[in-house]
Formats: sequence, C-alpha cells, structure tokens
Amino acid sequence: MKKYYWVVIAIVAGFLSNPVLTKAQDASKEASVKVSGEVATSLELKLADLQQFQQADVTRKDRDGKDHVYSGVVLADILQKAGATMGKDLRGENLTKYILVEASDGYQVIFALAELDKGFTDRTIILASRVDGKPLPDGDGPFRIIVQDEKKPARCIKQVTGIKVLFAK
Amino acid sequence: MNPDFSKIKRKSAVVLLLSMVIFTLSGWAFIKSDMETGPYKFIYPANFGNRINVPDDNPSTKEGVYLGRMLFYEKSLSANNTISCANCHQQARAFTDGRSFSTGVDNVPTSRNSMSLTNLLWTRKFFWDGRAGSLEEQAAFPLTNPHEMGQSLDVSANKLAESSVYHQLFKIVYGDEAITGDRIVKAITQFERTLISCNSHYDQYLRNTYQPTPQELKGLALFMNAPQPQTGIRGANCAHCHGGVKNYMELFHNNGLDSIPKDAGIETLTGLSSDRGRFKAPTLRNIALTAPYMHDGRFKTLAEVVDHYSDHVEESASLSSFIRGVSNETGGRSLNLRPDEKKELIAFLNMLTDSTFITDPRFSDPHLLPVQKFKQSSK
Repeated sequence: MKKYYWVVIAIVAGFLSNPVLTKAQDASKEASVKVSGEVATSLELKLADLQQFQQADVTRKDRDGKDHVYSGVVLADILQKAGATMGKDLRGENLTKYILVEASDGYQVIFALAELDKGFTDRTIILASRVDGKPLPDGDGPFRIIVQDEKKPARCIKQVTGIKVLFAK
Repeated sequence: MNPDFSKIKRKSAVVLLLSMVIFTLSGWAFIKSDMETGPYKFIYPANFGNRINVPDDNPSTKEGVYLGRMLFYEKSLSANNTISCANCHQQARAFTDGRSFSTGVDNVPTSRNSMSLTNLLWTRKFFWDGRAGSLEEQAAFPLTNPHEMGQSLDVSANKLAESSVYHQLFKIVYGDEAITGDRIVKAITQFERTLISCNSHYDQYLRNTYQPTPQELKGLALFMNAPQPQTGIRGANCAHCHGGVKNYMELFHNNGLDSIPKDAGIETLTGLSSDRGRFKAPTLRNIALTAPYMHDGRFKTLAEVVDHYSDHVEESASLSSFIRGVSNETGGRSLNLRPDEKKELIAFLNMLTDSTFITDPRFSDPHLLPVQKFKQSSK
C-alpha cells in the first residue's frame, strides 16, 4: 500500500514539474509599446528599456481628485530616439505631423508633434510607468501617458501599446 | 437532302434562336430593371461623422450592393445548401439569431455569440476579440469555418458559376463573368456596409423630433453619468464604453463576468494576462432585439445584463479599470442601482431600437422578389 502511495506522489510531482503542463501559468508575455510610422527606426519598448532614457516626473490629479507623482520618460525623448522630426526638424510640413497613441482596449488619442516639443512648450508629457514610486496598478499600466496641467484626464491614456507618428492627410 | 426537311430545320433554328434571344433579353431586362448602377452613396446623419472604413480596393457600387445582398441570402454558399449569412444574421433581430451560440453545417455550436450587423461602415475591428482588421477579412471567416457555412470560397465560386443569373450579375459588377471567392466576399461586404441604423427614438431625440418619457430621460441620465457617491450624482457609467451617437466606441474590456473566464478572449491572441477575459464592448444599437447577451449569450434579458453591472461584477486582475470600484455607494464594488433605476435604464435601452432598420426592404431577402417577378413576366 505504502509503495503505491509513493508512486502516486512521484506521478503528481512529475506533472507539477513538467514545463509543458505548467507553461500556461507563466506563458504570459511582457507588455510593450511599439513606436512606428514616420520614424527613422521603429522601436519596441519594454519596461526595462525605459530605464535607458533620462527619467522625468509629472505631478497631476487622478480620478480620486488627489495629486500623484508619475514617473517615466518624456515622450519627445522617445520620439527623438526613433528619429521622428523633433527639435530643429520640426518645421514646414513636419508641423502637420501628429502621434496616434493606442491603448490595449482600443482607445486612441492624438497629440500634434508641436505639443510635445520643448521648443514649443514647457508642458511635459511623459510615458509613465510608475505612480508615487510604485508600478502603475492593473488596468492603468504598465504604460500610461501623463499630460501635465491638462484639465481633463481624457488624454492620459492608460495601457498604452502603440505610438504612431503620422502626417495629417 | 430533302428541301422541305431543310426548310423545317431552318425554321426551327430561327425559332430556337429567337427564343434564346427572348430568354436572354428577359433575363437581362429583369436584372437591369431591378438594378440601378453607379457609385453607392451612403446616407447617414452628420453627427455619425465621416470616419468611415471602406477599403480602396472595394468601393461600393449600387450593382455591387445588389449582388452582395443576393449572396448574403444565398444558401448555396454553405456546404449543405441550407445556410446563408442570414441564418445567424436575421434582419428582424437586427441581424442576430436569438441563440447563445449558433449552429452551422456540422451542428457543432460556434464558440461565440452571433454579432449584430449594424453600422459596420464605421467599424475598424471585427469579431468579439477584434482580430479582423477589415470587414472583408471578417466575412470570409463564417463562410469557410467548418462550424458555420463550412465551404471553401473556391467551391462557392464553382457552385455560383452554375447559375446564369450570377454570371450576368458578376459581369455587371466586375466587368467580366469571372466568379471568384474574392469577388464573393467583396460583394457581401458592400451590402453589409449599407446596413446603417440611424432612426431609433434616440436618434430622433437627438434631432429634436422625439420627446422621451420621464422614465426614458432618467434612464438616459443614468446611462451617461459616472456615479459620484460624494456629490450624490447617480450613474451607471454605460456611456464610457457605449457612448456617442452610434452607441459604439470600439473598445475592448473585461466587464467582470467571471474571475476565471472560460473563454480568455483577447489574451488568446496577444498572450498578455492583462487581456484575459477581454472582449468587444459591442454596439447597443437595437440592443432590445439582440438577446441573448455577452460573448457567450449567458444573459437572456436586459434585466439580467443590468443586474450584472449593478450587483454581480467579478473581480480579477484584468477587470476593466472603468468598472473596478465604480459604484453609487462609497466603497462599493459594483454600481448598486436601485430597482427603479434599473427600469429607467432599460427604458432608455429600448429607445435604441430602430424599427425602420429591421423592416427596411433594401435589407431583406432579394431571392423572394425575382421569383415573383419572373413568374409574372412569364405569364
């Protein structure tokens, strides 16, 4: 009887340690933000990749009506890295360019490139990954756009998956 | 050769030729008389906006829409010649079928609930999981899926080629008689893009031609408002995902049906745990006609749907942040609507029924008409 007991334990242990059978639990992919469109190099940024940029903080109110400190990377820096026409190149027809930001729920918002460029504005718009020193909560993160001083939070788009640079047609 | 015999032969040849000409002309006349040709102009209210989705390689024409309507109701496009698109998309039910899951040629239930075909002209992501980026891609799926119509597009093209009517129609639409799977799909989608619903009581209210009842107005306010327990504003927050004049915003959310969903939804496509149990927030156009509800048809009535959002939201990591903790009571986990508020909300949802849409003869089965016409003309 005892012999069978050990056989059963061995079989169960075998199942639990089998990577094929337990794969379903840890198969989840890591979220990322794809930067594409009118850029020199398309990017796919994961959480670790954001650490390679200079970090920036923006304080703004959330739905709870309280101020929170959001941390991440200035959007213009990401666009510059991808080779979008920022800075001295943001003139002429390039002023008809905008970014279309898309979230995993399908929500979309746009910003004109000139809204994001330091030469045009002091307002900081970041791709945030942390709030008050902690990762963004489920449903908001891992990436969220935070727009400094904008009255409505509608463009503080949650669960960002893509940023496309496009010409207005 | 006997001269008399050759005379008779010539005579019968003339008769045969004449009858062939008459037959061909009558067929041509029937199609022509029934059909206008030229670009199809979509007519819709200005507040619907012009962000429409028509691919460059499939512009809509009047003749294409007519052919598409014939094909939408064409049963020979299914493996056993008994099922057309219209089986699961019935006009009287706003192009749904009243079932939780539909059954196709092999009687195996489909994995998800048949979706309403309404205002597809503005849709950009199709199916419950949004996996198809065009209506053309969407339409090819049920035609060929073994649990739906179950027939390859090539076989469908060959079957249609046996009918002279289709030869003529394809020639009028595409310039030559070639019947291909691609052309079948393109014509069907041209028809589907014409299925525009814009005359519900809600549309009429927005045009100032319908005065809602007090109950409907209260329901409208609940529909639009987010609850604010601190200020006492009551709301059901529906418009966050079903707002806008078309009652459709093309958003995809986990709406708290299950903490561990049987159908993982978009996670199956992306592998992201944040997409678990996430599905399209579908249009609420004609919602009173499209029971049962949800991707798996689990709710039989609108009352059950409202009860879900009010009282039975299940927590999980991927629950939509627009549902999590949104409540009319401080600290509440779901909306917590009162019984009278639920009735008001349902009264408003009934305002979204467009009876013009479900009885519009332009969307009905055209196979019923030509047969009648053909009989009349042969008398």
